Amino acid sequence: MTNLTILIIGSILSISILYLVRKGKMHGPYATWWLLVALSAIVLSIFPQIIDWVAARLGITYPPTLLLVLSVSMILIRMLTMDMALTRKERKIRRLTQKMAILEAAINQPETTNEKPADSVEPIQKSQIG
Amino acid sequence: MKTLIVIPAFNEAINLARLLPDLVATVSYDVVIINDASTDDTARVVKAHDVDCFTLPIQLGAWGATQTGIRYAAKAGYSEVITMDADGQHLPVELNALMQVYRNTNANVVIGTFPSRLSRLKKLAWKFFKMLTHIKIEDLTSGFRLYDKQAIEVLSSKQASMLDYQDVGVLLLLLRAGLTINEVPVKMEDRNDGKSRVFSSWLVVLKYMVQTTTLCVANIGKRPTQ
Repeated sequence: MTNLTILIIGSILSISILYLVRKGKMHGPYATWWLLVALSAIVLSIFPQIIDWVAARLGITYPPTLLLVLSVSMILIRMLTMDMALTRKERKIRRLTQKMAILEAAINQPETTNEKPADSVEPIQKSQIG
Repeated sequence: MKTLIVIPAFNEAINLARLLPDLVATVSYDVVIINDASTDDTARVVKAHDVDCFTLPIQLGAWGATQTGIRYAAKAGYSEVITMDADGQHLPVELNALMQVYRNTNANVVIGTFPSRLSRLKKLAWKFFKMLTHIKIEDLTSGFRLYDKQAIEVLSSKQASMLDYQDVGVLLLLLRAGLTINEVPVKMEDRNDGKSRVFSSWLVVLKYMVQTTTLCVANIGKRPTQ
């Protein structure tokens, strides 16, 4: 019964991921990660013996422990990489904000200084025509 | 030999209106105000005094604003940057004291300090951070500083963008780059208005202490690359 539940969850997850990628709401590495999670859920629900086999090899007497430890560590690793990505984004936003302020000031400045020469050129041209 | 004065400002219209005329009259350096997404008249006041004003579209905090000025200085080819607070705490007259120490010693960074302004609690905090980092500087948070060309380069780096305050993190970065830091005692005015950004409420203090401690601990054993 549990296997069936996990199979359903895995299938819904993979369909959702594919849908999100199709709608452009999730991209590249994130989609790959979540598809892998969904696929392993499906595989493990169909062949639950895999866990028992690996646990026996590693000398773990109670196989579900292996499953729980593995999944919790995967979640922790994922959260750590998420915070690293957020830090990178924060740095990019900060530097972009700074650059934007500098460029904005540079754009506004020539306007005010260029106006005067433009004005002073005009009368000369008029006098040439006249 | 061009010098740029960088003043980060968040809602400092009243204080700037008092500081700018004095500053422009006292020194002949270029001045740029970094308007850290203020909600008051800061930008208008600065423009009225015919001083350059960079407005950040997103609030970055005091260090993020200061770094904007430093990056601009690096780009525009200034040889020194002097940072000061907008609240009138730092006196334009004292700029010469910084400059003199800079010229007479070969320090890359000169910090204007006013040790007696430190409260007991602050002194204790500084002692703790100094113990963690082996920085031998009296006043860790003074915003009255002169940076030379090498320091400007170090502080415009991407790594410096991840800092949150112009204090221990900045000093560590400078020391690790092998730069020398000098101190000069200066006179400081009491804050005209408003309080310190860092030491304003207990929750903020706690957050600051935890963040800075983490930064210090993460930097233990990182020797300067001289």
